[in-house]
Amino acid sequence: MKRKVLSAVLCGAMVLGAASPAFAAAGDGQKIALVGKSAGNAFFEIAAASFTETVEAEGGEVTVAYPETATADAQIATLEGLIGQDFDAICVAANDVNALQAVLEDAMAKGIKVSSFDSAPNPDSRQVFVNQAGTKAVGQALIDACYDIAGGEGQFAILSATSQAANQNAWIDAMKSIMEADEKYSKLELVEVAYGDDEPQKSTDQTSALLEKYPDLKVICAPTTVGIAAAAKYLQDNESACKLTGLGLPSEMIEYTGEDKSCPYFYLWDMQGLGKLSAYATMALVTGDITGALDETFTAGDLGEYTITEADDAGTEIVLGLPLEFNSENIEEMAKLY
Amino acid sequence: MAGKSGRSINNVPESPFKKAIFSWEGILVIVFILVNILSSQLSEFYNIGNVLYQMPTFLAEVLLMLPMAYILVLGEIDISVGAMVCLCATTSVMVCNTGAPFILVVLAALATGLCCGAINGFILTRFQELPPMIVTLGTQIIFRGLAEVILGSGGSVSAADTKGFKQLQTKVGEVPTILFVVLVFAVIAAVILGKTIFGRRVYAIGTNRVAAYYAGIHVQKIRFIIYSAMGVMSGLCALYLVSKSYSANTTQGNGFEMDAIAMAVFGGISSTGGKGNLAGGIISAFIIVCLRCGLKLANVHAQVILLIIGVLLISAVALPNIIKEIRKAASGKKKA
Amino acid sequence: MKKNSTVKKIVGSREFLLAVIIAILFALVTFKSPSFLTPKSLSDMLKNNAVTMVMALGMLCVMLVGGIDISITSTLALSGMSIGMLLKYGHISGIILPFIIAIAIGIACGLIVGLIISRADVPPIIATMGFMYIYRAMGYLISNGGEWAGAAALGTFKDFATSTFLGINKVIWVIIVCYVIFFVFMKWARTGRKIYAVGSNAEAAQVSGINVRNIKLLVFSIMGCLAGLGGALQVSVYASAMPDMQYGGEMDVIAACVIGGVSMSGGRGSVVGVLFGSIILATIAKALPLVGIDALAQNMVKGIIILVVVVVNVILQRIADNNALKGREM
Repeated sequence: MKRKVLSAVLCGAMVLGAASPAFAAAGDGQKIALVGKSAGNAFFEIAAASFTETVEAEGGEVTVAYPETATADAQIATLEGLIGQDFDAICVAANDVNALQAVLEDAMAKGIKVSSFDSAPNPDSRQVFVNQAGTKAVGQALIDACYDIAGGEGQFAILSATSQAANQNAWIDAMKSIMEADEKYSKLELVEVAYGDDEPQKSTDQTSALLEKYPDLKVICAPTTVGIAAAAKYLQDNESACKLTGLGLPSEMIEYTGEDKSCPYFYLWDMQGLGKLSAYATMALVTGDITGALDETFTAGDLGEYTITEADDAGTEIVLGLPLEFNSENIEEMAKLY
Repeated sequence: MAGKSGRSINNVPESPFKKAIFSWEGILVIVFILVNILSSQLSEFYNIGNVLYQMPTFLAEVLLMLPMAYILVLGEIDISVGAMVCLCATTSVMVCNTGAPFILVVLAALATGLCCGAINGFILTRFQELPPMIVTLGTQIIFRGLAEVILGSGGSVSAADTKGFKQLQTKVGEVPTILFVVLVFAVIAAVILGKTIFGRRVYAIGTNRVAAYYAGIHVQKIRFIIYSAMGVMSGLCALYLVSKSYSANTTQGNGFEMDAIAMAVFGGISSTGGKGNLAGGIISAFIIVCLRCGLKLANVHAQVILLIIGVLLISAVALPNIIKEIRKAASGKKKA
Repeated sequence: MKKNSTVKKIVGSREFLLAVIIAILFALVTFKSPSFLTPKSLSDMLKNNAVTMVMALGMLCVMLVGGIDISITSTLALSGMSIGMLLKYGHISGIILPFIIAIAIGIACGLIVGLIISRADVPPIIATMGFMYIYRAMGYLISNGGEWAGAAALGTFKDFATSTFLGINKVIWVIIVCYVIFFVFMKWARTGRKIYAVGSNAEAAQVSGINVRNIKLLVFSIMGCLAGLGGALQVSVYASAMPDMQYGGEMDVIAACVIGGVSMSGGRGSVVGVLFGSIILATIAKALPLVGIDALAQNMVKGIIILVVVVVNVILQRIADNNALKGREM
């Protein structure tokens, strides 16, 4: 009897195990692992889909893996599992700048090529980083948007993700340094950087606090997808005079974008292009076309030729291009894509 | 010692051999073997080398399971563990970056853990009416919040000198030293809980706190000691985590409390107190570690791994009870 | 004489204490930021905490029988994500149908949890921990591996959260209706009293003819029902459905209940207490960014406030108990 029960438990476990996708078979061509920040992120999924498509078109094979939680610890465990298999390359969107160094160095020591995209681990732990848009370019675009929407002068605030989000911090720092360097922005006043932790509830609290604290606030800049959508909803529902810009997903923002709505325009980059370029860069690392050194060039399919440049953190990076602007004219079209 | 096993399936056969197999621990050993067979079927990469390579990350959590088992036997819970790990990791990296010798780094982590655990223990023993869950929920937010303040904007600091931390990752052949550390601590913890007066008292408190108090047991002292020990082990776990990542960040240790509780409960330690032993907890910890390694190597989706662990956890507790129920119903019918 | 004792009873009660704490909090925040105490600001606060407030009622029932449920935000994500995807792909539309579907999914989830807990004697914390993983994973799988349903995909459903009835936002009406129903149910309905009976002394309740198992099943189903409602509210209020919605939010719900004086060992707690408890939490969340506490320190301050409120509650309770004893000695 007990044995039966026991075997029932195990059968259950086996069925569950078997039902889940297992990609163990070795195929021809390259085997590449793509590691995300966490499961359930629409933002990452778009790039991952185009990454997979590109590699498969070239005869390679992609395994997409996620950590169980959005932490560096969980990502380390995931990476260790991947290192144990015979992957040619790992492409990772890092949850933390520093924490992955030990495990990624180990991967490189074992002959696995390491590239990264979306958010970079530190220079020691990667061979090349595919940057969606240069940090300065994003900062410039955002501050110009604030300048333009505020009409050249007045108060503006930033609603970021978490205080630990490396990308957001880099963009905000870029915005600040551009503001200091150029007289043009002297009449703009950055009153506060608030953190909404990428939760709709907390982002809404922070947005309403900003409006109550600074009644003359002209613009909120939210360089994060969850934050911008929550703030847009709040501003639009309250018909606030304060406007919004930042970085967001067109499909999330379509209701709020337009001259007479809460967000006149906002930015993002070509997510599909990002996946594609990362795929080509990773494959080029494996074939040895590039090693991740400065000034190397390679061809990324129909995207054309790219050159490896120096990144802000003294490592190397490949910059996809300039941020794209989404406004009332193109948002309908772009929302179908992502 | 019979009856201490958290879960038993009734009508245990009398012969010692059968008794060993049909105890919960015996079943766990069988499950352990089966998990390994299953894993090796799922992934061609499931071999000793790979498992030993992946193991240290998970083993750090086993260190947390040991004191957590004591807390569960008391009939209590501590959900601030993950945050304590985070704060300990933060202080250890901060001390390391001042250029202090590694021994001070170790002491800093353990002392921070001790302080955190003692704070939990202090509040809980001073205000006995307060449920541990809510106190540790409060301290959880505070400890992680404190780490956020210390780490500042950016939320991640890497250790300047990794030499000391690298020593923690040394291996004997292919076997990481942390495995021995975990086993030594596990044996010590199991012996204290199972064979000493202190352990007996913990069971007594977990079974009936009031009765234990009137029997002359220093209930509050024991609770304080256990919560402090939980803190110290968090410090140790934090050191191993930092040695894996050479850095501290604000998300470190997120969810570790749940993992530790899951391991202990799967091993037969009842969350309502007074039942279970560490042998079961330790075997189940290795079951979960091997299962996770195996599923990771088979590239099973992260959410599916969590789903499987959830199902296992519930069925491990529910199935014995259901069987008992069915048997009771069946024998009841016969009598009628 | 009688009137006097009623006043005494109210002043001595836990709820009165909480009301005082709320008054102090409100006064402090208003002092720092006068815009806090305006109807619009308060209505924003309630709307933004509707999900927690509604689920706290279910948690009250669960905690009254000595249980706990940490799977609720996973249930919320599963039900919210389900209607999000159904709306996105045009299978359903409107407002009422999504609400019904979300609540139905919630009840089903709660029923399963309740069955496991009441029939297989699994401790609630363990069972719900398992289901926390399971339902979250199912919510994720339903989202096609991480799709979000944005404002445009939700059609008219999101209008629910922006429309008003008698000048008050409909989301706040949902809160009011839930609290009124539960107030009546817990105070005067036979089943409501049975829940208290089971929590105070399960064996005595069993002997006196209450089916303890069914009551346990019931409270977890109620919890699931409210978590499903919470899912629909979440999607409607924020006009977006994501598989990681409210991750970790169950702790806020539990904290709201405990601050509101609900005992974790069962049998003690009231709807009014839960209302005040969740308002205290909502005020903290709203006020922290408003009064100018450094962004990095906000979490730490939140934890300290929760702990202080809980400890102060205990100290005052002790004083009250002492006074009661003194009265007896006379």
